[in-house]
This record gives sequence, C-alpha cells and structure tokens, in this order.
Amino acid sequence: MDRTFAGKYIKDLVEKAIKFGFEDAEACFMSSSSMEINVLNGEVSSYENSTMQGVGFRGKKNGQMGGSFTSDLNDNAVDFILRNAMENCEVLDDEDEEFIYCDPENSHLESIQLSGSYDKNTYDKFSMVGLKLEKDILALSDDIKAVDYLSISCGTGPSISVNSKGLYTYKDSDYITIMAEARAEKDGVVKTGGYYWFGKDIDDFDEKKFLNTLKKRVLGKLGASSVASGEYKIIFDSEAFVSLFDTFISNFSSYTMQKGLSLLAGKEGQTIASDLFTIREEPMYENALIKFPFDSEGVLTKSKALIDKGVFVKAFYNLKTAHKAGTESTGNGFKGAFSAPVGISATNLIVEPGDKDFDQLCAWVQDGLYITDLNGLHAGVNKISGDFSLFCEGYLIKDGKIARPVEQITVADNFYEVLKKIIATGSDTISVPEGKGEYFCPSVVISKMNISGDVKEREE
Amino acid sequence: MLSEVTVSRIIEAAMSGQADFAEVFEEEKKVSSVGLLNKRTIRAASGINYGVGIRLMAGTNVVYVYTCDKSEDALIKLAKEAASAVKGGKTSDIKEVEALSKSTPSILVTDPLSVSKKVNIDFLKEASEFALNYDELITQVASSYATSNRVIHITNSEGINKEESQTRIRFSIETVATKGTEKQTGRIAPGTMRGYEFVEEYPMIDKTRECCETAIRMVNAGYAPSGKMPVIIGNGFGGVIFHEACGHALEATAVGIKASCFTDKLGKQIASSIVTARDDARIEGEWGSYMTDDTGRKSSNLLLIENGICKNCLVDDLGARRMGCEPTGCGRRQDFTYAPTSRMSNTYIDKGEDDPKDIIADTEYGIYCTKMGGGSVDTATGEFNFAAEEAFMVRNGKIAEPVRGATLIGKGQEILMNIDRVGNDLKLAAGMCGSISGGVPVTVGQPTIRVSSILVGGREA
Repeated sequence: MDRTFAGKYIKDLVEKAIKFGFEDAEACFMSSSSMEINVLNGEVSSYENSTMQGVGFRGKKNGQMGGSFTSDLNDNAVDFILRNAMENCEVLDDEDEEFIYCDPENSHLESIQLSGSYDKNTYDKFSMVGLKLEKDILALSDDIKAVDYLSISCGTGPSISVNSKGLYTYKDSDYITIMAEARAEKDGVVKTGGYYWFGKDIDDFDEKKFLNTLKKRVLGKLGASSVASGEYKIIFDSEAFVSLFDTFISNFSSYTMQKGLSLLAGKEGQTIASDLFTIREEPMYENALIKFPFDSEGVLTKSKALIDKGVFVKAFYNLKTAHKAGTESTGNGFKGAFSAPVGISATNLIVEPGDKDFDQLCAWVQDGLYITDLNGLHAGVNKISGDFSLFCEGYLIKDGKIARPVEQITVADNFYEVLKKIIATGSDTISVPEGKGEYFCPSVVISKMNISGDVKEREE
Repeated sequence: MLSEVTVSRIIEAAMSGQADFAEVFEEEKKVSSVGLLNKRTIRAASGINYGVGIRLMAGTNVVYVYTCDKSEDALIKLAKEAASAVKGGKTSDIKEVEALSKSTPSILVTDPLSVSKKVNIDFLKEASEFALNYDELITQVASSYATSNRVIHITNSEGINKEESQTRIRFSIETVATKGTEKQTGRIAPGTMRGYEFVEEYPMIDKTRECCETAIRMVNAGYAPSGKMPVIIGNGFGGVIFHEACGHALEATAVGIKASCFTDKLGKQIASSIVTARDDARIEGEWGSYMTDDTGRKSSNLLLIENGICKNCLVDDLGARRMGCEPTGCGRRQDFTYAPTSRMSNTYIDKGEDDPKDIIADTEYGIYCTKMGGGSVDTATGEFNFAAEEAFMVRNGKIAEPVRGATLIGKGQEILMNIDRVGNDLKLAAGMCGSISGGVPVTVGQPTIRVSSILVGGREA
C-alpha cells in the first residue's frame, strides 16, 4: 500500500468511526521492509526479504478508549476494526482517561530520516561484507573455532497516523545492523563473545575496529575462573550498566508510578542517586542514529533531565498519565507497533561523563571487579523492589590494572542502592542501542557490591 | 485462505531458480485479550494477524520472504525474487500436492473466542476481589486473560498439504505484597489448549490464595545465602532448568552447527543415570502441543535422554540437512515473520522413584526452590542462570525459613550429572520460549529433583 493510498485508507477509517458512534478516533498505518543475510561456514546460509503492514485503531466512547488492529486489509477489515473496538470500549472501566490529541499549531508533523545510501543495501553488498568479516574473525586467532552467528540486516518503513482532531503525522527512517558471535576454545574450555555495529551507510562500517573489539570480547574470556564471595568495588562497562539501568527504566514511567508499582512514586524533586550521576533524555541528540521530534500521540518531544546530580527531576509522561497528575505530557507517549496501545517509552538517554578514561578508572579503583556481561536480566530481578541477583562475567582488577578474566559469579544488590553508590563515571562514552533509541553512556564505578563465587580465599 | 491453484503457482515460481525445496506458509491468527489492575478493566484488545511466508532451500542455503499482501500477483513476484536469491542447489521436481489434511491439538467443548470479554472480566474480578481482601499486605492485583486461534496452512514442493488449527487460552494473576518500601510478588499463569471449560474448572480462588501467600512470605523473607550448596528444585515450572540448560543445547540450531555443549553426544552419557527426559508435542490439550509442526511435518514424542544417555536431538528440516538425519517434526516459529527452526514443545524430566518428602528429609543443608522464575543459557558453553521466585532454606532435613533473591548459576553439563534425586511427582507448567524463530508457547516440567551442588547467588555470605 503506498503512502497516499494508506493515508486515505486511515482517514476514511476515522471518518467511518465517527459515523459508527465513536466520539473521537485515531488510526495508524505502519509498514516495514527488511532485508537480512546470515553467514555460516563460508557461505550465505540464509537471506530474508520482507514487508509487513497493518492498521491499528483506537476510538473513544463514554470516556473509554477501545482498540483493535488487523494486518489482513481485506474488504471486511474496516467493519472488523470498528465493531471490535466498540465492543472493547463497552467492557472497559478504566478510571484514567486516554486522549485523542492535536495541537492546532502542530497538526501536520513529518519526520523523514532516510539516508541516501539505502540503495547500497543489496544482497551482493551484504554478502561481500559478511563473508569477508567471517573470514577475518576466524583469522584473528587459532583459538577462534567458529563464527556461530553473523547477520547483516537493514530496515525501513513509513508510519502514518490520522485522527479526528485533525492530526496527521508521518515518519520514516532506515538503519543497518551487523552482529557477530564467535566461539573460542582453549584447553577444552569454550567461550563465546559477540559484538555489533549499526549505522545508516554500510560503507561506514569499520571492520578493523569491529575485529579489535570482538577479539577482546572472545579471547579475553579464555582462562577465566571464579572469585571468592564478598564485597567488591565495581566498574561496570557501558553496555553492562545500560542493561541494568534499562531493566528498571519502567520505574521512571509515570504509568508505573501511578499504578503503585514503582518505588519512585512521589519522589520527583528528591535525591535518589549519587550527586555524581546525571542522565538526560535528548530525543533529537545529534549523535543518535534515530531522532524523535514527536511521539505517537502527536506531542512534540523535548530535551530534559531525568536525574540531575542525583535528583529525580521528572518522570516520563504521556497524555493520559499527565492528565491524572495535573501536569503536561513530556512527549513520551509511544506505541511500538500498529497492534499496540500507546505506552510510555524513553528515546535517547545520555549519561553525563566524568573526566577519567578507563585506565585511569582502574588505577583509581586499585582492587575490584570490571563487569562486562550481565545475564538473566529478564528473570533475576525484582522490578518493583529493585532487588537483583545476576550471573555475570568480567575481569579482576588488581593493583590498578586488569589482572585476569572472571567467570561463574553472581552480583546481587538493589538498583536504587546502586544509584546511590555511584562514585564516578568515566570519559569513555559509547553508544548502546536499547529500547526505542540509544544510550550514550561511559563506564560507571560503584563503591561496593555483593559478589558470589566459588573460590574459598579472596586474592590479595 | 489462499486457493490451491494460487499456492501451486507460488511454488512453481519459487522453484524456477536453483531451489531444491519450496514451502508456502499461510497463517491467520485471531486474538482477544483483557487486562485488569485491581478490579478495573484497563485494557481490552482484539485483532487479526495475517501473512504468508515463502521459504526456499538449496542444500543448507535458505531464503525466506514474507508479506501481508495475499494477492496472487504480489506473492508470485515475491517468490520469483526469492528464487533469484537461492544459490547452488540441485534442482528438484515439484511433487503432486497431497489432499489437504487437517489436525488440531486443541480439545474444545466451548470455543474460548465465543465467550464474551465480559465473562472473562468477571472471572478475573472475582480473583482480584479475593486477593485484595485476603490480607492488608496485598496492595495490588494485576490480572490478564488472552485467547487466540491460529490457523496455519503449509504446502511444499514435496507435496505436503497440511492445515492445523491451534486454540489457546492463557490467564495470569499477579499479587503484590507491600511492607514499607519493600514489594514482592506472587504469580500464576496457567495456559492450555483446552476450551473455556478449562477456565470454568480451574480452582482460581485456591490458586489466588497461593499467590497471595507467596507474595506475603517473600516480603517477609530475608536474603538468600551465597555459595555452593545442594539445591532441591520443586516440580512443575522447576523444569525450566532442564529446558534452558539442556533442551536448547539439544536443538539442531545449536547441535547442527556444532555450537552446542552436547555436540556429538548421541549415545553418550550426558546426565545422571536417574534422569530420563522427553519432548512430547503430542499431548492433546497441553499448552506447548502441536500435531503438525510449522513445516507441515507430524510432531513427535521424542525421547531426549534415557537413564542419562543422550538418545535424540530436536531436528527441523534444515537441521536434518546439516546433520544428515531425519527431521523430528519440531520446526516452529512465532508467526509468518520468522523462518522456522528446531524448537521444544512439552519438555520434561520424567518421574523418578523418590517421595519428595524423603528428598527434603535426606538433605542436611541446602536451598529448596519451590517456584522458579525464568532463566537463560549459552548453548555453546552450557553456562546458565535461573531465578527462584520462592525459596526456603533446608536445615537438618526440614524446610526452614523462606529466602528471596536466589539465583542459580552453573554449567548445564555439570548440573545434569549432579542430579542425585528424582521425585515421583511429575507436573507440567506453561511458559513462553524465545529463540531465533521468535516466541513460542512451551510447557516445561519435572518432578521434584535435587542437584548435589549449584552455585547460589544471594546477598548474604
């Protein structure tokens, strides 16, 4: 379905919805096209090329917002959508009101972030880059036995939304992702490690830089052993810290707070973290791959601090939660798919860096652990209380330097306590894709955390 | 659904290049769900997902394309594009399409999609009301109900022509106990392929009471200790440990490319001799079942481990080409947007001989995980982690104080060898499994088992 036809289809749907008896209505059309190759054992083992499209609808009646969706855009689709959305309205008894919105001064919103380089994303180009990358990974060391996963993918797709208040939004963007996981074996011990790259132009892929990092991530783990249980000073690498922070990001959502499922409820304006910690949301951050000028409700996004020098400034709000709290939406009302309701999501988050590079942080820490991998984040955490106990890997820091790799340990603590125990952030900021956007985050140092390992005596 | 003529034309177009195999996978899934917080209905959704996936193979080279557009012209164009991307196969003839055969693993007296949302909501409201009045520590109750009907039609160049209808129900109750700033949860989430009668027969109030008790026990509990110790894992969802630590490593996705800790272990001992385990997709009405897999093959009741010896791996058709063996009927995918791969169904450690009470009585010191949460595994190294949702200390053969925040970590190969007791109380439990072909419904299960030593990651020394 092309842009003009899709726009007309959902405009007609909204008009029919009003005639059907909805007081307000909104429809969105989302389409995505993607292409992916996988490389295995010197050949392109699989190739995918696909399109997906569907229509999502929400309509309001008697203060309740009912939704429905379909990806089967046949002659009966409009009838199915309207009938089901109305039935859903009739069973809802939500105390909190959801809104269909249009700012008259911003009723036509467009965000087109398509790169001119997208046409380079051909099967032949991806195959050439992928096959060379696999060969070069295997050539890094005799200890690397296989590249178990190597994929190159790209995607793009327009999203159009129209509502009965007069809003029209259109957005489209594109991306390329390269991911690889290698397997190393030495003295009968197997270790795996992966790395990724993402961007808009395949010609910007720096294979040498990619190989250097992947090599460290795989071969660096060989020879690992556990440590004794106890409290350790911890340096989290950027990705590990982001994975931990993002696991608890929903606690910064006003929705979670209003439902009594976040311990941050009522703490806006209060100190919740070390004064050395600042994290900002910058939807239009210049270094971000994807920028977010407006959200799925048609509200303009804005730059804002989430935590400023330890103080929790303001939660993320959409129109519904903002109305309940008597405040304004922060432009964080996003829906993830045409079939999904409007939720609350963060876009690009920037952790304020410190002035020490990674080596200086190690020297400053002297003795502790450098954690690079956190596993089990979907299971080993209590999202409400903040308690977590996670399987992790990393390195022992001795006398201010990385001493040896560490495995078979867990780190257990509480998220809110960890925020208070931040004693430094590094100057080594990297971009980590997570959620809707990216985090820009350096290494983060925690004064002490509980580690479990199966070695009896602690190394001095 | 697409006509037989259209499907044949798509297959012809797909086989016009170098493919030796082509498959058309058509799927329509109707979904209906509601969500409540406390006693208010805050979410109600309905929808249809429809799409067609076309898969081509040439040896072990796979091309997969999909679309929501069901027009014949668009599908043939897509098939031709896919055909041009297939490299290096030996051409094969297209076999005559068999007569359509239909199957279902669902046992329906009352079709759940025929039951109104209001009835589902009343069912959840009753449980919510009970929980909120159970104890003043219970401050929130979140509940949900979802039902779906998925019809898949698979036709391929080898003549397969199968249709399967899968109707599922899953509902959940999550209670939150609050004490000061501390909040802990108790959760149940049964799933079935039976009809609405499953819901009507379900002991909802008793199970909601258990949820409340778990949340209250955990909010009052101290932290779990850390260190290596014997661990008793309760029946039912405790089987997630086997699913993660062993099942995934026996999938052709890992074994077929020699990226598994169980590579080349067929016929060899990989578990303690008291362990027998199965993956049985053919249990009618069970949450993780299917009679026909997503590649049109008949599913199986597969013996994975017998008395500790590795007997079979889970092999899909691509895995069979890589491994030079027959597929076991385990090709699954979340939906048409994924190519199928080897996946588990209802996977469990079979019952043993011990009375669970004796297992506890014979444990001097350790931890008893009565309710497990999720976990994950690296199939190449075997390294896994699991979280316990409810656990107790065991001292001098008796269940002692509850503890929270216990995570179990280790290597699958070692844990399987260290299972030293297997109970006689086999139980299955519903779950969702995520892997490269998306999220699929699975059942995990086991009787009560004991592992002689696992590293427990808690917060107390």
